[in-house]
Amino acid sequence: MSVFDKLLKVMLAAVPILVAGVALAKDAKDITVAVIPKVAVPFFDDCNTGAANAAKAAGVQYQWVSPQNTQGSTQVKIVEDLIAKHVDGIAISVNEPKSVEGVIKQAMAAGIKVLTFDSDSANSGRSMYIGTINAAAGATMGHSMAKAIGGKGKVAIVTGQLGASNLNERIAGIKKALAAHPAISIVTTEGTDDDLAKAVSVSEALLRGHPDLAGVFGVSQVGGPAMAKVLATKEFGERKGKLKVFAFDDLPDTLRGVKEGFIQGIMVQRPVTMGRLAVEHLVAQIQGTETAPKDVDTGVTVVDAKNLGNYTK
Amino acid sequence: MPESVWSRILGLRKAREVNVLLALLIVGTAIGLATPYFLTTSNLMGVARAFSLTAIMSIGMVMVIITGGIDLSVGSVMGLSSLVTALCFSAGVSTGLSIAGGLLVGLVFGGVNGLLVTWVGLPPFITTLGTLSIGRGLMYVITRGIPQTPDTPPAFAVIGQGYVAFVPIPVVILIVMTAIFTVVMKMTRFGRHVYAVGGNESAARLSGVRTSRVKFIVYALSGLIASLAGVIAFSRYLSAEPASGFGAELDVIAAAAIGGASLAGGVGSVLGAVIGAALTGVISNGVVLMNINTYAQQAITGAVILIAVSMDVMRSRRKRV
Repeated sequence: MSVFDKLLKVMLAAVPILVAGVALAKDAKDITVAVIPKVAVPFFDDCNTGAANAAKAAGVQYQWVSPQNTQGSTQVKIVEDLIAKHVDGIAISVNEPKSVEGVIKQAMAAGIKVLTFDSDSANSGRSMYIGTINAAAGATMGHSMAKAIGGKGKVAIVTGQLGASNLNERIAGIKKALAAHPAISIVTTEGTDDDLAKAVSVSEALLRGHPDLAGVFGVSQVGGPAMAKVLATKEFGERKGKLKVFAFDDLPDTLRGVKEGFIQGIMVQRPVTMGRLAVEHLVAQIQGTETAPKDVDTGVTVVDAKNLGNYTK
Repeated sequence: MPESVWSRILGLRKAREVNVLLALLIVGTAIGLATPYFLTTSNLMGVARAFSLTAIMSIGMVMVIITGGIDLSVGSVMGLSSLVTALCFSAGVSTGLSIAGGLLVGLVFGGVNGLLVTWVGLPPFITTLGTLSIGRGLMYVITRGIPQTPDTPPAFAVIGQGYVAFVPIPVVILIVMTAIFTVVMKMTRFGRHVYAVGGNESAARLSGVRTSRVKFIVYALSGLIASLAGVIAFSRYLSAEPASGFGAELDVIAAAAIGGASLAGGVGSVLGAVIGAALTGVISNGVVLMNINTYAQQAITGAVILIAVSMDVMRSRRKRV
């Protein structure tokens, strides 16, 4: 019998022991959950805060593993490492949906509970997705706009990359909400590649071409700052406040735009809530109290001049 | 002549590999003592598969470095090869031809690098910096930022995801490549010429070595090997994303340097580079297993690299005195 055969036998013999170990109910202190963000940016710092607090409250071990870059392969490697470590649960915000499918299936097969948050890998077999349902967030944005412009007038959409699926879902949500207001018409949808300089020139052209515009949707994160900059210029200054602007994501420039009256509202996602729910659901699944998990929409908070200082994420 | 063969493989030249192997064993033992999850067959094989792409590319890189050159284009070539393989599959081309398409990318880029360095006489750094940008740029032009995920036959996925017994196939490929190129570098005339070009190019030319041809071949090989890594990567992830291989050249150069290669040329070995890649792979695995602050990972890797290389340099200096 060769060495390899022996090794193989030992490994096979270990399988039932491992399976038996997983099957037993665990004390909270013996449970380890790991959370993997896309990359180190402020949004995920907030997720980490929510997740770490939830882990503390539940009394479970917690590990935050931030990839060094946004390549799909880096997250695959991290999940493999966590499988080797025999963690009990993994929550991941996916950089590239296809490339992690195999490793998530592998983790699930090893008895690890896996869910996705913020960014999904729908075909990976993960137990659930927790995050912003973009179509619903777009609908909220559409309703806010309809209210602000009194249910009538011309509006325009400023987006990021034209092909981006999350942005297109938001736009679809806006259109659905505005369908209830026949007096509102969408005159154009402009792409900006999420480049601020390009977004500024697109916004200028938009305002020149449509002097009677009542509202602008900034559905990607550059829309808000770009409109605020344009409305601060002499040429368009008199339309400040008359032209209603709704934006996405609470970047510092966007918040300042609200404070100074250039922007009427921001759709702010809830990363702290995502992190908290991710850990809570993982722990529930590991302890067997949640057996039929369903996707959770964490929704958006509409931030305007009134709640600017004290909104929660 | 088994004696002379063995003395070449295990002889004094290998002292530098012994140093980095020592560093690998020390780091491995430390991680193994700190966490029970490290020294398991499945973890070690997973780690080996994770660093195998860097290690495979470092084989081509170390040959370029030994000639006194550098190949900054390997990360781009790897990514572009993944992408071209994916595009071939999208176009309905057979598995064999899709793989050939991916490998052709590497051969073309490597060949262009080689021609620019030898025929035009550009510095290797500038040459490969240029082809790095061209390769990456082409990826963005082709994908417009969207990952390519064509349907592939199950047999293709075996290359990146399959096993021989309990050893992942990328690791098997790495072992075979390491063996082949160790023999090439230590026991063939071509290998001796590669060292000669890097040691003293004029002297090599005067003693009859066709230095341009040697240099052209190492760049072409480096490109071809990088594209092999690209094909394996696509088979492993079944997704060719525009960022694939981004920055990989630094990891690959680091592996070669950790393994004792001198960026001044003339010194280095295939085995050393592969062990160098293993060292960084083991560190990044250990950081996750031991729950060390993940933001500190790069800093830790950098510190370990400096310590390992310093040990190496000080040991060889003592020997010379």
